[in-house]
Amino acid sequence: MNYALVTPCYIAVAALLSIGLYGVVSKRNLMKIFISLSIMETGVNLLLITIGYVPEGTAPIENANFTKYVDPLPQALVLTAIVIGLSVTALAIAMLISYYEKKGSLEYKGGMKW
Amino acid sequence: MVVHPVLLIAIPLIAAFIIPLAKKYGFAIAAGAMAFNMGYAIGMFSYIYSHGKIYEMIAGFKPPVGIFLAVDALSAMLALLINLFAFINFIAIGKEWNYKFSMLYLLAIAGSTGIVLTGDIFNMFIFFEITAVASYALIAGKKDEKAIEGAIKYMVLGSIASIFILMGIALIYSQLKTLNIYDIAARISSMDEKIKWASFALLLTGIGVEAEIFPLNGWVPAAYQGASSGVASLLSFGPSKAAIYAIARIMMVIFPFHATYEIALYVGVVTLVIGELAAFMQEDVKRMLAYSSIGQMGLILIAFSLASQNIQNALIAAFFLIISHASAKSSLFLLSRSPSMGGAACKYTGIVGVLSIIGMPPLAGFWGKWYLMLAAINEKLWLVIMLVFFAGIVEAGYFARYLHKSMGNESKLNLRYKVAMVVMVSFTILLGLLPIAYKMASLPLWGW
Amino acid sequence: MRRYAGAAIAIIFFAFSIGIFMQLASYNDYEGSNYYYKNPVNGSLANESVPSHYIKETKNETGAINAVTAIVVEYRGFDTLGEVTVLFTSATGVSFLLYHVYKKLKKREANLILKEGSKLVLPFALLTGAYIFIHGHLTPGGGFPGGSVIASGFLLMMLAYPEFFVREKSLSYSESMAGSIFVIIGLLGLLFATSFLQNFIPIGKPGYLLSADIIPLIYIAIGFKVGSELSSIVQKLKEVEK
Repeated sequence: MNYALVTPCYIAVAALLSIGLYGVVSKRNLMKIFISLSIMETGVNLLLITIGYVPEGTAPIENANFTKYVDPLPQALVLTAIVIGLSVTALAIAMLISYYEKKGSLEYKGGMKW
Repeated sequence: MVVHPVLLIAIPLIAAFIIPLAKKYGFAIAAGAMAFNMGYAIGMFSYIYSHGKIYEMIAGFKPPVGIFLAVDALSAMLALLINLFAFINFIAIGKEWNYKFSMLYLLAIAGSTGIVLTGDIFNMFIFFEITAVASYALIAGKKDEKAIEGAIKYMVLGSIASIFILMGIALIYSQLKTLNIYDIAARISSMDEKIKWASFALLLTGIGVEAEIFPLNGWVPAAYQGASSGVASLLSFGPSKAAIYAIARIMMVIFPFHATYEIALYVGVVTLVIGELAAFMQEDVKRMLAYSSIGQMGLILIAFSLASQNIQNALIAAFFLIISHASAKSSLFLLSRSPSMGGAACKYTGIVGVLSIIGMPPLAGFWGKWYLMLAAINEKLWLVIMLVFFAGIVEAGYFARYLHKSMGNESKLNLRYKVAMVVMVSFTILLGLLPIAYKMASLPLWGW
Repeated sequence: MRRYAGAAIAIIFFAFSIGIFMQLASYNDYEGSNYYYKNPVNGSLANESVPSHYIKETKNETGAINAVTAIVVEYRGFDTLGEVTVLFTSATGVSFLLYHVYKKLKKREANLILKEGSKLVLPFALLTGAYIFIHGHLTPGGGFPGGSVIASGFLLMMLAYPEFFVREKSLSYSESMAGSIFVIIGLLGLLFATSFLQNFIPIGKPGYLLSADIIPLIYIAIGFKVGSELSSIVQKLKEVEK
């Protein structure tokens, strides 16, 4: 098993997720909150890709020169997850535009009451 | 006759795709699709009632390789409930908005139906996203400050939720290399303990946001208060019910362990008590109804969590609580559009809805609480029983105040609203009076 | 205060995820016998795992040589329908929310290089996008990347020429037509074969353009849909720019 490639990826996933979480909790600017959410999404996508990695595997496109392929399913899932993240971001931007129109700023004043 | 549950998802989708081509007829197309869905859901339920559970493969591949829809009696009933109420509610409110609202409404309904029917965990995630994105847009659709604020709150929490769900799925996949709920369930024992519990925690947290469970429901009051009353009504019978069913499915199929049921029981009790107490302290009607919804979701979760010992009673309880809450709360939300509730129709709706939520016989809510008690007594959970009674008293308190405050002037609701809410709230009487509760005791509710 | 709370939560989450991932690091293969799947319908245990089924059988079952594409469009095509729907929902939501906020555009002149360059690039961007989504079953890529490339071509034009815009009507027509075609192909599968989204045309010879049954058809629909949806989102967001 080749840990040398996988371990940094897992550390990066954990780092991305916690950086994003830090941003979501500590920032008051809504734009920054949504940027942090995008960072978290990237982290999860990287996690999926890392899970699908097989040492010495190539892209799962059939080719006579290779016998070992990486797991194709997580890649398909990531494709889906990226599009979903994109759609949420697009809607978020539209919502922030209307929020800005109403309030004149992107700062979120009220607390997150449960 | 062969039933294809997939049509319940495909038809609303194609209707939503077609609407921009015929903008003028948006309302008609959407209403037609929902009417079809309602009829088909009734047909599907009666088929399952007589033939037992069904499954449908998608794309013709055998299940763990392809996706499949697994429908048992309970999920067929929930699909029926969601589509039926969606149709009634949409007829009432659809004309006030433009065609885009109809599209979003259809998509939200298709998503909720998909969550209930699907047997694949990633597919469930996709339907969660459809439902959630459509709900964000619908909540913000009122376009005033509160609506947008509520939608943004929901959006932030919902995005974190979707990240957590996806992470939970990734963890499960890393160990079992499968996404099919029933395949996962069959091989869950070969999973690493730590990862198993981590993925359960992540999935529960993620879906709990949609299902309005206690520490995760920060968005609920703001979103319900901000949304227009029709949309609040949609949220209370559609997405939240589908989400609580998803929790039940994941808990009972994938993680059927003693500890998970216990966690769900605690979470449910805390949600119930805190939701009801918070509802008691609210001044604003919609906020009060929203907190009351949180409490009711806790009650439904308690019902599901009792299913480990006496599955039949617990599931009947859950179903009756779901239907009572869906019909009563969605009609009360429609009613909350006008501050006063004079007039026969409004009074009738308000009183019947409130009585059903409190759990007065012979309404549907009573049967829900009755079977919940039976299940709880079986397990000797006296504290839970006392807390449920206590919650009922608190409910009675704030609903009495609500009725007292809002009786009086003639309400200004139009006829559509009145008809819709009377029809919706009548389901609690209908299901309470018909001996369906006894019939259901012999029906295998949980097949897959 | 908030900052410390955020840092605390982030650190706890970091520790939590590192703890899980340490367990994960040794699970990076998919062919072992502990991954053999169990059919939930009849309960039979197979002698392969799901991913190795994809690797081995994609060519025979779908005629595509790109396994990811086969999964996206065929094996898990229902997910893709949902994914397209999420994007569609979001596009609808954007136009639903920004319905009332039409602002006069401030005309900003772009410089000459951007203007002339984007004119040159646009046809190639469209061509590349079309190439990517038509060849989805043979090469990396597919409907989503292809659609994004097309939309980025339009985005470039919008940046270069403030007054440039694609006709709203044609965008929404292509969006709805493509979406309906996707569902209709699925329903045809239900009609001519046995289940939704099932293949109902000959597989063809793997490795050629005209192969892989319904994958190219669906990817063309997705390409058009994603391209027009992303363009319409970008255009909507640009229209309200002050």
